[in-house]
Amino acid sequence: SQPSTNTVEEPLDLIRLSLDERIYVKMRNDRELRGRLHAYDQHLNMILGDVEETVTTVEIDEETYEELYKSTKRNIPMLFVRGDGVVLVAPPLRVG
Amino acid sequence: MSMRKQTPSDFLKQIIGRPVVVKLNSGVDYRGVLACLDGYMNIAIEQTEEYVNGQLKNKYGDAFLRGNNELTILLIGTFQRHRNES
Repeated sequence: SQPSTNTVEEPLDLIRLSLDERIYVKMRNDRELRGRLHAYDQHLNMILGDVEETVTTVEIDEETYEELYKSTKRNIPMLFVRGDGVVLVAPPLRVG
Repeated sequence: MSMRKQTPSDFLKQIIGRPVVVKLNSGVDYRGVLACLDGYMNIAIEQTEEYVNGQLKNKYGDAFLRGNNELTILLIGTFQRHRNES
């Protein structure tokens, strides 16, 4: 409802205003996505295009207990994201 | 702002536009101004800062937090008056 307003009246409006824009999505299990939002629904199921997925893992050295962070990236041309894994969605205009 | 006999939904209406901390049970905090929320506890925050283990990790101009994540919303700034008393 109200598809033509540019104001954010409910949180899903923020997502609606991001259609066709590149967005950043933080998922459960230390995954992040950056891609172009083509479609979404109220469950936060999304279709993202031209996606870069980053998976971050931590290994702990058994002797020194150092935390070793690793990031694995892959590119996916078109992706269906199931909404129940979504934690945060933001336009990728990030500082710091 | 009276804190007596308020229902949770009254609280949620009153805090729109206020600075808040949204704590996820995963250990991440988001500080910003609460723009709006809905019946599923989906939250839109402006000028958001993301803190992991107390360290500032990211900043977002706008952020949407999905309501199903276990979260606590803290209204910050209301209790500062009492800090320096006695």
